[in-house]
Amino acid sequence: MSKMNTAIETQDLVKRYGARRALDGLTLSVPRFAVLGLIGPNGAGKTTWMMSVAGFLHLCSGRVNLLGGGPFDPAVHAGRISILPQDSDLPLEGRPLELLIHYGLLQGLTRQAAAQSAAEMLQEVHLGDRLNAPIRSLSHGMRKRVMIAQCFIGYPEVVLLDEPLSGLDPRELAHMRAFLTRRRGRQTLVISSHNLHDIEVLCDHIAFIEKGRTVRFATLDELVGKANTLIYQVSQEPADYAPLTAALPDASLTFEDSSSSLICRYDPRLTTAEEINRRLLPALLPQCGVTTVTRGASLETEYLKCLPQESP
Amino acid sequence: MNGMRQLWRVACYEWFDALRSRRALVVLLLYMAAAVCNMHWSINILHKLENELATMLQLPQSERTGVISTALWKSKPFQRMMREMAENDLVLQDITGKHPVELIYAWFAFFYTPLLVVLVAGNRIAEDIGSGAVRYVIFRTSRASWSLGKWVGQTLMIGVALLLSGVGAYAVAKCRLAGSGTPDLFLNMVQWSGRAWIYSIPYLGLAMGLSHLTRSASKATVTGIIAITVCFVLSVLVRHFSTDTGWGAVLPILGLLIPDGHKMYLWRNAVAPLVTGSVYLVTLGLCYLLAGYAVFRKRDV
Repeated sequence: MSKMNTAIETQDLVKRYGARRALDGLTLSVPRFAVLGLIGPNGAGKTTWMMSVAGFLHLCSGRVNLLGGGPFDPAVHAGRISILPQDSDLPLEGRPLELLIHYGLLQGLTRQAAAQSAAEMLQEVHLGDRLNAPIRSLSHGMRKRVMIAQCFIGYPEVVLLDEPLSGLDPRELAHMRAFLTRRRGRQTLVISSHNLHDIEVLCDHIAFIEKGRTVRFATLDELVGKANTLIYQVSQEPADYAPLTAALPDASLTFEDSSSSLICRYDPRLTTAEEINRRLLPALLPQCGVTTVTRGASLETEYLKCLPQESP
Repeated sequence: MNGMRQLWRVACYEWFDALRSRRALVVLLLYMAAAVCNMHWSINILHKLENELATMLQLPQSERTGVISTALWKSKPFQRMMREMAENDLVLQDITGKHPVELIYAWFAFFYTPLLVVLVAGNRIAEDIGSGAVRYVIFRTSRASWSLGKWVGQTLMIGVALLLSGVGAYAVAKCRLAGSGTPDLFLNMVQWSGRAWIYSIPYLGLAMGLSHLTRSASKATVTGIIAITVCFVLSVLVRHFSTDTGWGAVLPILGLLIPDGHKMYLWRNAVAPLVTGSVYLVTLGLCYLLAGYAVFRKRDV
């Protein structure tokens, strides 16, 4: 990945809290305009990584290069990066509109641009009717929406979102997913979440973080095998594989007992998913029922495969 | 230049936010009420003293307070007596020419300003660090602009509190004390508010500097109260145990490091000591704040 195409480059980051290493040599590069999902258990280092990138934490060692301008420096990066920090309250006496205008002015917008951007963002998060309500009077979900809105004031190049969708009601959740999806390809987003479904819907790149290190980094398509894997949910394991392998001489078939699915891996340069279906299903259907066919595995499956096996 | 603009923006927002913060507003109103009550009670005492004096001298008692006091205050023998009682001749020379109302208010303002500062501003920075509100700001502007902006904003806030208390005290004096309704006195009261405001600046620096060191608002307030108590004790030590030789000779130097060491400049009439004192006090405030900021600059938020 060339430096021009990298929004965030972090190398061998180490952050210690006493004897505990929150980041233990974490290396991660985020391509420009990517939507990267950070996945990992509690305490894996996702939040610490984000806070280090935003300049909230002082690293013990390692290198951060943000938008080609070195580590975070407000003189260079103000207005170009924003963050939704976890467990951080907005000033309780503030009003959403004036607070966002204040933030806009601080990041270098003109008063007019800040006012316009603040009003637009608050409309976007469905808080148009609470522009001047004190933050203390807003519900948890509404506050979360103000926090999300503040991230997008002035259209920053990089937005770091730590658990952006937690605490939202189903309607707002769907709306916010759509809002974030619309940002794809226009801004670099990094989203940390424990909700793998949200990550799968929103992100095009995935990083698994474990014990302060990057365990795996790939595009979502690579990770779940969207381009080369078909998964058939079947009623039972096929009794006879011979007609199946005869129909698909260039593909491999494996049966996964735990999920009762037949996994077909193929070379996308030689054939297509439609062609596989056309040839495999006539051979498969006489032997067992097929309930669904999906492209690639679920992110959850791939993530769980990556986890170290717990001893019984 | 950009840093200064950012600092001013933070300061204006802080001032605005502090003005509408319920806690700050309550403290501000309490302070104003205390200034008004102090003036009211002081006039009551004055009235009693005047009546007792009139009875002793077998003079008719005055309906309005202040007639005898003003005459007494202006008399040369009384001024001479005061000068003999005081240690600082220059200060006394300046204050004996003042109206008693001014001195009552000035004493109140100078004595209670440190407490007002700690209660209003002592926890503002710790509160933002503890709640995480600071995280929404410091990726938009530098930590220095944020810290200094908060300090300037709170300085403005304390200025408003002192101005209002001065005006309140003047209003009480105007109603209750003979010959106290002059525009000159009003301007002098405003001036005393201004002097007390300058005196509040190092305490603001001290309280807010300490506020950088903790995430707990209540801990910051308690630390602030301890700090002003230490300053008070030090000033007493400096006043009473300073000597020309031995360990006592160190105390005057120590006195320069606390706000009280420069307070008397603000009681003077001449411009030169006033300016010198103001510069000292503002610099001292800035030094206290920067000491706290130096820790904050390196800490995780």
